[in-house]
Order: sequence, then structure tokens, then C-alpha cells
Amino acid sequence: MGLRALAEQDLGTILEDATTGFGWPITITAPDLTEGALTGFSDDIAQVIDPETGQAVSGRLASVAIRISSLAVPFPTQGLPVGISDRTSKPWLVAFDDINGNSHTFKVAQSNPDRAIGLLSLILEAYQ
Amino acid sequence: MIDALIDKQDSFEIVRDQISAILATEVASQMALATAATKDPNDWKLRIFEERSNPWEQWLEDSPADISPIINVWYDNSTFDLKAGSTVERQKTTGIFNIDCYGYGISQDDGGTGHLPGDREAALEVQKAVRLVRNILMAGTYTYLELRGLVWRRWVDKVTIFQPQDIRNAQQIINVQKIVGSRIAFNVIFNEFSPQVPFETLELVSVDVKRTEDGQIIAEADYQYPLS
Repeated sequence: MGLRALAEQDLGTILEDATTGFGWPITITAPDLTEGALTGFSDDIAQVIDPETGQAVSGRLASVAIRISSLAVPFPTQGLPVGISDRTSKPWLVAFDDINGNSHTFKVAQSNPDRAIGLLSLILEAYQ
Repeated sequence: MIDALIDKQDSFEIVRDQISAILATEVASQMALATAATKDPNDWKLRIFEERSNPWEQWLEDSPADISPIINVWYDNSTFDLKAGSTVERQKTTGIFNIDCYGYGISQDDGGTGHLPGDREAALEVQKAVRLVRNILMAGTYTYLELRGLVWRRWVDKVTIFQPQDIRNAQQIINVQKIVGSRIAFNVIFNEFSPQVPFETLELVSVDVKRTEDGQIIAEADYQYPLS
């Protein structure tokens, strides 16, 4: 096994170990309402760096990181989650609990797939 | 020395407070009119703040209690017109008051087969707020902001909408909240006054205007010198 294939395999340990690692249950819903229960990284913070000034500013930033190969199981035909601007379509949704057990649902605003290593990071926005 | 305590508001403070008061009063009135017209009064609701630095703070919460557009009125600057003022007492002043509007949108299910994108909702909200503010302040009723004698003119100099977050630009932060801002640069020309030296009457000049034919007094006037 090459190093690159090994790195992809390591994602399974890095992202999806919810017992001893930072893995976290994440539910993704496709526009056709297919749901997938996955494990990955989730972030939801309220202070970010303004890229124009370099200063820390208030602004909630939420994202998840998912192993692409794991997404193919619940979503074999739907493709990778992306931000959907079309008002006539349902968006890709992402839901996860915070550390205190409160559930939050988001819409995928931006999709950043790293197909070299098989990692998908999704930038999220609020949804109700 | 100035022998009196300077215990007053300058005109720019009076004008700023008046702008806020007019907006608050008219928003309440518009909501009442909307209710009377069996429309949703919340579509006319604006929350008016004055001289605040982060009135949108509560929108950082997961489920903000009130997502009505926010208006923040703040004084920006004044320029003084030497040609149309006096070095002693009154200065004709042009003040810029920024009226910042913020619209909050949240993506949500439309109840059908689509959804309402939060970025669009935020843009529409802030544009609605700009529409209401501009119409209120430029209404004929408020030509002089109800401060006739103090205010010469009021005028919307410029409306600027700050571009929504652009997700095509990798340098942009994509916040969970969709908020679009707008600035109304509101230009008001008014008089500023300054403390005066208490005058003493040196001389009283009395003028009578009489008709030559019969000596009837047509007009009388008394002038204190120096003029008060």
C-alpha cells in the first residue's frame, strides 16, 4: 500500500474514532431527503479571524470534516454535498449535537473536497 | 472666562436624537397602521439603536429571539461653513449621520419542494429596512426634522449596501449567520451655537415713524445697543 492510500486509510482512525478520538456523530441529509449517519469532525465556534484585517472578530463559524469514502455508503448516487443556491431545490443539510447535547441543523454553504487524500470539509450556515 | 456652565446639547446631538426619535415613533405608527390594514405588523418592525457598536450581538445566538432589522443611528462628522456663519455666535454646519441597517436571514424550508436561502433573505430584509428609513426621513412631514429654526435642510447623501459574503472568494469568512448591512449617509444642515459674552445695554435707540401730513405715528421701534 502506497503512502497516499495509507493516508486515506488513516482518515478512518483520525476522523471516525468516536470512542477514543475526536470523532463525532454527524447526520447528513441529501436534497432527495436520503439520510446518512456518519462520524467525522465538527466545529462550531464564535470567533474567527477577519482575512482582511487579521483581527479576531465575532462571527459564528461551523464546519464538518468527513471521509469521502464513508459518504459513498449512504449516498451512492447523490454525489458529494455542495451548497445549493437554487430556491426550488432542497439543500444538503448537516446536523450534529454540540458538546452539551443540543442539536443544531445547518445548510451546506460551501463544499471543499480534497480528493487527493479523500477528505471533504463542509462550511455550514444556519438552517431552520 | 465663560461665566456660565455649558449645560446644553449641541445641535448635532439634538439632530441625532431627533432622527432616532422620528424613526422609533414612525416605526411604531407604521406597525399600528399595518395592524389596522390586517397586515403583519412585524413586516414593518425595525429596532432602533443609537451610537451602538455591536447591536447585532444577539444574532450570534443559535435562535435569536428577534430577527427584525436593526437600525443604528450614529454621528459621523460635521463641517462648518465660514461663509455662512459668524465667528461669534452661530455656525452653519453640515453634519453626516450614518444610519446603519442590518438584515438577518436564515435559510429555511419553504414548506414545499424548495428552500429560502438565508443570504437572499438577509439582503431583502436590509433593503426593506433601507426603504422604510428613507421614506420616513424624507417624508414631507419631516422636511426640517421638526426642528425648524435649527435645521436648514436634510438629505440622503448615499445608500450603500455591503456586499453579501461571497463564497467564491476563498479569503472570505462564511459565517453561520447571514447578515447583510447597509449604510445610509444622512446629511443635515443645521445651526450650531456657541456661548456668548453677556451683553450690557450701552444705549437705547428709539425710532418713531410719523406721517408728515398729520403727524400720526405709523410705527415705533426700540433698539438696544449692542444688538441682543
